Amino acid sequence: MDSKPFAEPAQQAPANTRAPLPVKLVIAGGFGVGKTTAVASVSEIPLLTTEAAITEIAAEIDRTGEVPDKTTTTVALDFGRITIDDEIKLYLFGTPGQDRFGFMWHELTKGALGALVIVDTRRLDDCYAAVDYFEHTDVPFVVGVNRFHGSVNHELEDVRWALAIGPETPIVTFDARDRSSVVDALLSVLHRSLAKASATR
Amino acid sequence: MRPYLGGGGSEWAPGSQDMPEVRRASGVRPYLLTGGRAGPVDAGLEIEAQMATTSVGRAMVDRLAFEQHDIVVFCQNPTAIAEIAAQLNLHLGVARVLVGDLIANGYLTARRPEVGLDRNTSIIERVIRGLQAIR
Repeated sequence: MDSKPFAEPAQQAPANTRAPLPVKLVIAGGFGVGKTTAVASVSEIPLLTTEAAITEIAAEIDRTGEVPDKTTTTVALDFGRITIDDEIKLYLFGTPGQDRFGFMWHELTKGALGALVIVDTRRLDDCYAAVDYFEHTDVPFVVGVNRFHGSVNHELEDVRWALAIGPETPIVTFDARDRSSVVDALLSVLHRSLAKASATR
Repeated sequence: MRPYLGGGGSEWAPGSQDMPEVRRASGVRPYLLTGGRAGPVDAGLEIEAQMATTSVGRAMVDRLAFEQHDIVVFCQNPTAIAEIAAQLNLHLGVARVLVGDLIANGYLTARRPEVGLDRNTSIIERVIRGLQAIR
């Protein structure tokens, strides 16, 4: 382990300053669709990773033979942060990719302002679990098609059809490597959140 | 269900009779830090909840050891539980237990996401403006 990476803060804000208000967005999608890349592109801090232990589902994994020798496993949780103003801190949490980790999503999505479900058009079926999940929650979501190889604009309606996404859910294209492109995708999520919040007022 | 949140009703608890032996090996070790407990004092603490060191915590910092010391030092700048875990190289569940103890002792205060944030249009609008500013 590293030696203590933090010095005693010398002249920090007084301890009674009000702590920031945390809000969060969830970045979901199948394995390898660009969730981590997207978070890293917009985060003001280097991407952070923490591990959460999984024990409950281990037996199930064993039955499928995917991880035969491990009964306790850990799942890595990637996240980043954007300071919005002097009070609000926005956290971006990437969901663990595989749908067998879906049970973690409840924790991640609880209270989230919204979710960006990232899709790779070459492997649409990888994102079924995420789309299923968010369709059954109250969390507003937008489907973001990650442009790995040039434009996919002409395919958007095909994607909508293939994923059976209702007309109320926006589909956008973006480039997970490009900061302003990711910000635009997040903004479309937030506009969806705002519309939903306004409607239920 | 999540491993750490069960409290008394948890199907997974260190030392519980019905915990299969095979799960014990790698599952328990991180909890040596927490005195063997897997359940935090407050099971509901969100991973983005902001932890801030109190004046009591600052006064006591030299009497704390190891991870508790590090957390109290670290949170002089308010920090999310997930960030504490990542920066101190702790499992998320362990960080949650340690933080819960520090709150119970008055060394940390928590600012949690308010209920209904996701329906708060003025908060959402502020986040939108903040993101537009960094495009």
